Amino acid sequence: MAVYKRSYKSYAGSITAEWSRFWIIPRFAWHGLFKQRLLTILYVVCFFYPLGAALVIYFNSNMSFLRQYIPVPDRLIDIGNTFFFTFISVQSVLGFILTALIGPGLISPDLTNNALPLYFCRPLSRTGYVAGKMTVIAALLSLITWIPGLLLFTLQASLSDSKWWDANAYLAWSIFLSSVLWILVISVLALALSAWVKWKVVAGGLMLVVLFIGSALGEMVRQIARSDFGRYLDLAYNMSRIWGSLFRITEDTGSISLEESIAVVLAFSAFCIYLLMKKVRAFEVVR
Amino acid sequence: MSADLIAFDNVSKFYGEVLGVNRVTLHIPPGITSLVGPNGSGKTTLMNLMTGLLRPTRGSITVCGLTPSDPEKFFRLVGYCSQFDSFPKGFTGFEFVYSFLRLFGHSHAEASRIAWESIERVGLQEAAKRKVAGYSKGMRQRIRLAQAIAHDPRVLILDEPLNGLDPLVRAETIALFRDFAKEGRHLIISSHVLHEVDIISDQVILLSSGYVVAEGQIKAVREEIEEHPMQILIRCTRPQALASRLFEHDHIVEAKVHSDGGGLLIKTKSADQFYLLLNQVALGGFDIQTVAPVDDDVNSVYGYLIGQEEATR
Amino acid sequence: MNPLWLSQTWAVMRLELKKSFFNRRSFWIYLLALAPVLIFAGHALDVSGRRGHRQQMGARNPGVTAEKMRQVHSGMTRDEVTKLLGPPAEKITTSRRRGVERQNWAYSDGSAELRVYFAGDEVRGTNYRDACNFGEDTIIFAAVFQFFFLRLMVFFGCVFVFINLFRGEMLDRSLHYYLLAPVRREIVVAGKFLAGLVATSVIFCTSIGLQFTILNMHFDPQVMEQYMARGSGWHHLLSYLGVTALACLGYGTVFLTAGLFLRNPLIPAVTIEIWESINGILPAMLRKFSVIYYLRSLTPVEIPIDRGVPPPLALLALNVEPVAPYIAVIGLLVVSAALLAIAARSARTLQINYGAE
Repeated sequence: MAVYKRSYKSYAGSITAEWSRFWIIPRFAWHGLFKQRLLTILYVVCFFYPLGAALVIYFNSNMSFLRQYIPVPDRLIDIGNTFFFTFISVQSVLGFILTALIGPGLISPDLTNNALPLYFCRPLSRTGYVAGKMTVIAALLSLITWIPGLLLFTLQASLSDSKWWDANAYLAWSIFLSSVLWILVISVLALALSAWVKWKVVAGGLMLVVLFIGSALGEMVRQIARSDFGRYLDLAYNMSRIWGSLFRITEDTGSISLEESIAVVLAFSAFCIYLLMKKVRAFEVVR
Repeated sequence: MSADLIAFDNVSKFYGEVLGVNRVTLHIPPGITSLVGPNGSGKTTLMNLMTGLLRPTRGSITVCGLTPSDPEKFFRLVGYCSQFDSFPKGFTGFEFVYSFLRLFGHSHAEASRIAWESIERVGLQEAAKRKVAGYSKGMRQRIRLAQAIAHDPRVLILDEPLNGLDPLVRAETIALFRDFAKEGRHLIISSHVLHEVDIISDQVILLSSGYVVAEGQIKAVREEIEEHPMQILIRCTRPQALASRLFEHDHIVEAKVHSDGGGLLIKTKSADQFYLLLNQVALGGFDIQTVAPVDDDVNSVYGYLIGQEEATR
Repeated sequence: MNPLWLSQTWAVMRLELKKSFFNRRSFWIYLLALAPVLIFAGHALDVSGRRGHRQQMGARNPGVTAEKMRQVHSGMTRDEVTKLLGPPAEKITTSRRRGVERQNWAYSDGSAELRVYFAGDEVRGTNYRDACNFGEDTIIFAAVFQFFFLRLMVFFGCVFVFINLFRGEMLDRSLHYYLLAPVRREIVVAGKFLAGLVATSVIFCTSIGLQFTILNMHFDPQVMEQYMARGSGWHHLLSYLGVTALACLGYGTVFLTAGLFLRNPLIPAVTIEIWESINGILPAMLRKFSVIYYLRSLTPVEIPIDRGVPPPLALLALNVEPVAPYIAVIGLLVVSAALLAIAARSARTLQINYGAE
């Protein structure tokens, strides 16, 4: 029997912590994303509204400055729950469009090119892979939703008296929670579609279809059955219902309770996660 | 235009600003013709142009007097096994061959019979009822070959047809090609495996960077390459003496005694003059056992014509 | 016509029909087509099941009228509701959160039904469900057909099926097999188009037929006989089927052609959806270059726009000057034929360059 000299020595240097390895995925993804001109322009556009809102907050508390030039009332608008609710609603729509552009391209190329075995033959778990892909969307969307939202809230708080703070302190939590909830839901939707639809353009289109067809089916049920139960199918409605509750905006909500809306959103997200995990595997079943 | 030739007349193809092939003029006779060249040299472009999957930017192409713009006649004559390793979704091997035969206007029974015959020729009967999606690379290659030859084409165009085949099937497939060529058909094959090209080809077309570098029978091509003297190995008993005798002639540029001492490797500018000289030398008492050229194969010609070009890129 | 061309067209159709009907991707189309059927079926079952229940509730509380039920609104107290309608026929406590009890109260006049949702003492929402009325259901069916079925289900179904015919095969890298067969490319276009048309027409016409049957199933058989045998029932059903088939034809040719010219199907789909949606406010000349213009003129039931239709939907319902049915059919056929001719012309010069996909 031949005896070979063992000259091979494995790497013995320091390695990064296991929990932090998923970061490698978003790092490379962001690098590639901003090479797309359309995406970069859209992302810049996403900051217009927060900037405008910051100006409104500033001038609203400094009307004396404006009064030097033009006749204005004591206050421009009332900065409260409706102001921040509108802010989150607008930014969430932009976030959705952004996700429709970014999300579908995250997993589908890996599946098309059989790259998943390459990921999973390294010390990276499926959860780490999904977390990494989700971080790509979550970080970008955070920068246009709750982070500017909280900055605006801080600006308003610093320019107002303690009475405003006492009445509106809960809004910080509302801004954060409503944004994070939306980001999580649309991220799992985008990743699930990206994992199931090879053609990334179609996956992007399907994101819009899921939202529109869902709302349309909900409206059909409302019309045909003369019942509000169709709203169970309307993701946008249920999300808006939860936000309304977080921002303490009351309106006639019909027969769908807040708990039911939460259940709808959770069920929808769970289904997306199920679809996602079914497809993100180190092997492919050929039928 | 001869009805027996594949003719390219000053054909160029550009993909936007990227050159596919440029100013190609060729007249390919029946037999096995190999397209040889490095990746991106234009082999597949030339095949796609021949079959109408691409349209030339300039020039014209005819295959036995027909053009792809008349598909009803053209594709009864031509079979193309392309490099695209993809299939319509959900088909079994048999369904794949059968379905496209129906497009030829064959009845169900006729198409079935022809499909089975063709599948049998590539030795895939057992797997024919299985989904193509579950085939190995070699099996996919064979079923595509079966589809390309099913209608018994007079011109068979094959892009890397031996890729993924195991040695036994490779040999069988080469034999199949030879049978085709013996019947006076055209076989156009692109390949990277030069020794196989050498074995099977009647003529070669060497391509580099979209240009045809050389074409014709490999020995004739070799003789045209003057800047590289021909190398010939002579097995004999007194190599040193033979070397001094040969050096008296101008066309001999180098002579090297073989490492085993039983032969002489010479380089000559003129193979014809060398063989004339060799007759005289043999009569002069040298015991010559064998004489064999060592660089008139595709491998050497490729190295001389394309290898250098690639190296200087 | 050359018999070979016919057999070749049929061969292409056979290949494509198999893909359109049985491909796993086609699951979406079935889902789209089946969704309204399921909604109508659910409604029919619900109405049949509730009819007796409402009569029982009405008998328990004879003072309840439809007019009184409509007066209940958010913000009212339990006492105010009880004063107006009396004690509820049904009372369900749904939850108790942060000390606030949530209850659902139900009232009925024997045909319509009202659900009142309380949080503590205050009305937080109401759901008034009118009794099923044949005339109203016919209008609802027409509205669902125009707003949702044609514009969303059939539209997206056609986007999927017809764009897939060429662009999908380019993506799968399998289109070249057709281009290497002894078939004129016009025949390939025709075969693929006919297969797509048959597939979408069968799926969506079956869907509309089922919707129509199920919607009318729960009404009194005498009313139905009157409607079908002596009224305009058959005319309505055949019109809906015809309009659906024509929609598949119109949208089919549009997306088949788009699939040959454009790499990204989202762009034509979104553009055409917007174009179709704003058709009502376009100048008369431009209005003719849309599928929905002709289809709307052929729908058998006019939708009254003042029926509480929200503004965006009212815009969709607008058809300023409908054309005569024969002009609509001929117009649609002419537009489709023109688009098919463009598609066939484009196919003749089609090149295979999968790398660019």
